[in-house]
Amino acid sequence: MKRKLLAVVLMAAMMTSLVACGGSGEAAAPAAEASEATEATEAAPAEEAAAEEAAPAETAGEYALDKITMVVDGTLTATVDSGQKEFNDQWDAYVSEKLGHDIHLDIQQQDHSGYVDAVGRIFASGSYPDVMIMPASMYTQYLNTGILWDMTEAYDNADFQSRMLYPEVNENVKAIGGGKLYGIAPTYGNGCVTYVKKAWLDNVEIDPSTIKTFDDYYAMLKAFHEKDPDGNGTDGDTYGVIAAGYLKSDEAPYINYLPEFWQDAYPAIYQKDGTWIDGFQEQATKDALERLHQAYVDGVIDPLTLTAGTKDAREKWFSNDQTGSAGVFTYWAGTWYQNLTDSLSKNDVDSEIVEIEPIAEVGAYINREAPVWVIIDDGDGDNAREQAIFDAFFETMLDGGRGQILWTYGAEDVHWSTKAESFTTNADDPEKKKDYEYADGEFHLKQSPNDPNTVWKKNHLDPALTIVSMSDEFSDFVSTTSLAAEGNAFFTAHMKDAPASPSSATLTEAAGTIKDAKDVMVSSVIVDGVDVDTAMETYVATVGPIIEQILAELNSAE
Amino acid sequence: MAKQKVSKSGIVIRKKPLGIRIWNCRGYYLMFLPVLIFVLIFYYWPMLGVRFAFFDYKPVGQPKFIGMANFEKMFTGLGAQAFWTSFRNTLELSVIKLIITTLASVIVSVFIFEMGNLIVKKVLQTVIYLPHFMSWAVVASIFSLFLSPSSTGMVNNMIFHGDTTKFIYFLADKAWWRPIFYIINLWKETGWGTIIFLATLSGINPELYEAADIDGASRMQKIRYVTIPALMNTIITVLILNLAKVMNMFESVFVTYNPAVYDKADVISTYIYRQTFANALPNYGYSTAVGLFKSLVGCVLVLFCNWLSKKTRGRGII
Repeated sequence: MKRKLLAVVLMAAMMTSLVACGGSGEAAAPAAEASEATEATEAAPAEEAAAEEAAPAETAGEYALDKITMVVDGTLTATVDSGQKEFNDQWDAYVSEKLGHDIHLDIQQQDHSGYVDAVGRIFASGSYPDVMIMPASMYTQYLNTGILWDMTEAYDNADFQSRMLYPEVNENVKAIGGGKLYGIAPTYGNGCVTYVKKAWLDNVEIDPSTIKTFDDYYAMLKAFHEKDPDGNGTDGDTYGVIAAGYLKSDEAPYINYLPEFWQDAYPAIYQKDGTWIDGFQEQATKDALERLHQAYVDGVIDPLTLTAGTKDAREKWFSNDQTGSAGVFTYWAGTWYQNLTDSLSKNDVDSEIVEIEPIAEVGAYINREAPVWVIIDDGDGDNAREQAIFDAFFETMLDGGRGQILWTYGAEDVHWSTKAESFTTNADDPEKKKDYEYADGEFHLKQSPNDPNTVWKKNHLDPALTIVSMSDEFSDFVSTTSLAAEGNAFFTAHMKDAPASPSSATLTEAAGTIKDAKDVMVSSVIVDGVDVDTAMETYVATVGPIIEQILAELNSAE
Repeated sequence: MAKQKVSKSGIVIRKKPLGIRIWNCRGYYLMFLPVLIFVLIFYYWPMLGVRFAFFDYKPVGQPKFIGMANFEKMFTGLGAQAFWTSFRNTLELSVIKLIITTLASVIVSVFIFEMGNLIVKKVLQTVIYLPHFMSWAVVASIFSLFLSPSSTGMVNNMIFHGDTTKFIYFLADKAWWRPIFYIINLWKETGWGTIIFLATLSGINPELYEAADIDGASRMQKIRYVTIPALMNTIITVLILNLAKVMNMFESVFVTYNPAVYDKADVISTYIYRQTFANALPNYGYSTAVGLFKSLVGCVLVLFCNWLSKKTRGRGII
């Protein structure tokens, strides 16, 4: 009897543990079920519409959209620990009021560096969001899948068209989609400019205005490496430049972290004189690789560039210990001009940075293809749901008013305010201490929710890059730091558009293998010193036939 | 006619029907039931995913049956070169690592066993166990800093006295990556590997050493003729058991490799990882096919080890 009792007790314990295991599954379920539930509730009106054949097509205004599930990367800076809840609540309240019924924005923010992978897993689980952001290279791969809603008509008829500043941004997106718009870029792409530490330039006695050619640029790098630009008394313990990889082979425009070395090369498939070609096999790429190899041999380029991610590279650049750091860093324009300056200052390093104009061989910095927001088509053949999402999401994001303010600066009285207030950053440090005082009615940004020693800069949209203007009523709601504004102005004065990314089924299939082949080729030439022609032969032997197939596919589609 | 079971006293033992036997042991079966359910759900149900090796399965859209196309791509098609490189590397890295770490563990175990000072012995044991508990990410960060080719790299500075032109990028150099990889593995796993050998050593009959002393054996002779032979069975067991796991190599490579050393470092798991997660629209079917092949090779190795174990030890491992 005892044995039976024991058996029952043990079995009950095991069952309880199994149920407990299942519990976590249930906890995770709402995220997955949310979209299914949304689909279910949203599908119902569509079915009804289909049933009522005689009835006119359902309009967006009649569609009862009670929730939008949004997947976003790290570009939404109002993160969970930086006032996302308040942003979310204020969006819900504002859009609900505007639409006349309750609506909730369900934010599913993914890790920025693993975004592509995270999105793949979300889709594979069958849990499709309603809207999501896609970097340009990801967008071109998803174009052929049929899950992106064609929003050409909705975009052309959008209310925000009357305040459009940069129509060409989405015209370019439209061109990628063969004349159809499957995603909206709310800002232009932005790009990288070359920053140089002013104190280092002074220490090696170089005037930044004299950096006009690659030779000037290279001489500066050599001076930074061979002399003592950080003033620690030791020559040769610093580098000229550091970057997050010699070639960012998985992220268009690929070459923007070392433009002075890549110059006129574009090591990817792109359109030249109306024909798609593999720029990686061009002479310009070979020349660039030889320049990079020479820089590696001369020690002017930090060898960690091979393995460094963007975070590693920038943290080493503005590190408190400047031994082993570099004088030059090519990084994002605008807001990052301010961020880099702040980071140097925070680490007690001379924070003055100089932006140098593109050298003659570069001509202009590259304005990348803008990331786009897409709507996931439920494939029911009825546009009512998608149009309703467009109206609730895009029309408010770019409404020139409160909605745009939310996406640009964040939540009122959390990230920004118009109430009279005063605050101090770095109150404990007399050298960095800064007082801020604002009168009632004056628009201003507040202290960052997660760091009271810095002032909040922006939320998702960069005010200087947004494709539409603010409405007259909110035209005073503009706050860009002088450095960010100066950085943006500098970039727009010296930029050219990146070539459009190709969209091909075979390219999508072989993207991983091509990336591997490029990475191996680049590192073998730069680090191992393999002859560039020999390395190129290996590259062609590895992926040449598939590249030919992709080019044939692209060119026959033209 | 079915063979009947007969007791020693010649009484025919009739086997009761299965249902009755289960009913008689219902308590045990009841206890076993949750475990069975657990194993079926969490171990066997996911195995059904293996079928996707024969599908074109992307994050978007329905999986499409494509027969052996994924295997063709892997063995002879677009992915062949990288796949075979990773397959060769997996076997080479795993087997060499296994031999080196086992050998090092044996040597360290013998040294520790021979130590007279109990406190030093215990402290040493604790210290060499510690690296095992560090995650591979931390270990990789530590060694990356030590071996850094930049002017702050400790090892390069010690060897070349600050002459940055001579610095070696150990983790990006085809000639250096593997030796460094083995050294890192030795540092991390040797201590942990000594546990089983020290347990065996502590079980050696002391009379064998006394007899050796009487025969006038030196310390080295005692190690050679008593200790090592006593350890041989355990060494073979450890080698055989670990040989079955040689295909499971990921973390240690993933945190230390880079494109410059793919030729020497890329293993099947890292290859699968890149094919799956470096693509915006990965073909999970292809990744599954590579994974399935890896599992089949692992399975063959387990069976081989089982056969080897039977041959050498008289009993199998499964």
